[in-house]
Amino acid sequence: MGPNNIAVFDRRALRQRRDRAADRTGFGFLFEAAAERLADRLEDVTRRFPVALELGCRGGLVAPRLAGRGGIERLVASDPSPRFAARAAAPRLAADPEFLPFAPASFDLILGALALHWVNDLPGALLQLRRALRPDGLLLVSLLGGETLRELRQAWMEAELEEEGGVSPRVSPFADPRDLGGLLQRAGLALPVVDSDRLTVTYPDALALMRDLRGMGESNAVAERRRRFTRRATLARAAARYAAAFGRPDGRIAASFEIVTLTAWAPHDSQPKPLRPGSARARLAEALGAAEHSAGDRAAPPADCG
Amino acid sequence: MSSSKDASEVDPKLLEILVCPLTKGPLRYDRARQELVSDQARLAYPIRDGIPIMLVDEARALGDDEGAPPRPGPAAA
Repeated sequence: MGPNNIAVFDRRALRQRRDRAADRTGFGFLFEAAAERLADRLEDVTRRFPVALELGCRGGLVAPRLAGRGGIERLVASDPSPRFAARAAAPRLAADPEFLPFAPASFDLILGALALHWVNDLPGALLQLRRALRPDGLLLVSLLGGETLRELRQAWMEAELEEEGGVSPRVSPFADPRDLGGLLQRAGLALPVVDSDRLTVTYPDALALMRDLRGMGESNAVAERRRRFTRRATLARAAARYAAAFGRPDGRIAASFEIVTLTAWAPHDSQPKPLRPGSARARLAEALGAAEHSAGDRAAPPADCG
Repeated sequence: MSSSKDASEVDPKLLEILVCPLTKGPLRYDRARQELVSDQARLAYPIRDGIPIMLVDEARALGDDEGAPPRPGPAAA
């Protein structure tokens, strides 16, 4: 919003796209796959979560798959698109994950299937999510990882270079799972776990893939995206490049999606923590039966330190 | 799926946990206008069919004459 904010994604474009997607059905396979993973994850947790929030509910994604898991008594549904929110079961609201409207410590659990990959300020959103959690509350969200649509990205880049002599951002950037663990910790969340798995979907051709992305409300919303129409020749070249590089023997093309699932907890005294340095009760050398040699370190830091 | 409650009525327990998405400050429920008012941000977030729309660019900017609660009635929400 402010001029000094670096906003990669155009949030209004994004919401309009979601609103359009809310009018359609049958395109949600990716979200359903992500929601299944979250519901499965919840099965592995013994703690109960009476009050939960679903982010980016798209008309209710995780809720119908919970089947009593997690001991949830009340699930608040939220989506940036008022039309998607209106399709979810009450209580429900429209909210942007970058500007969360919840008081501190409102929820025991926050779920979100592919709810965060459009966020401009992911560290800020994670911080807000952590604050909305009660102590020992669980954040269980997924987003699309960097391997997502790598074939499409490459095909567009080659086609634009060949037809137009330059490239523009055609496919939205996605997070690198290796960065996410650190982001969770920086947001003050404990015991972070990041894991990712890949889904390959086949389409008749690249144009069918692009249609499907639009149907999911997931086409490019990069603020720097081109606002003019794509030249027919570039589009045809991208489709040809895609088929040449990622075609399958059966004539269809493959598209990769990477679903990254994040698990982290709001801090609580009951959680395991690393011991303080110097709090060991036994010597390692004794346990190993080895002789101990000094490394020459001083016991106390120099006075000018810190 | 089917709720016996009036669908157009906002969930009172939801109202308890909502704050202004910009300032994280308190909201005032204007039942007559079906709005959640953030006096700090000078914005009123609409409630449509019982669904709070907590989006800054959907909110109405408060006029100069609008301020604190106009009527501190006994039946405050």
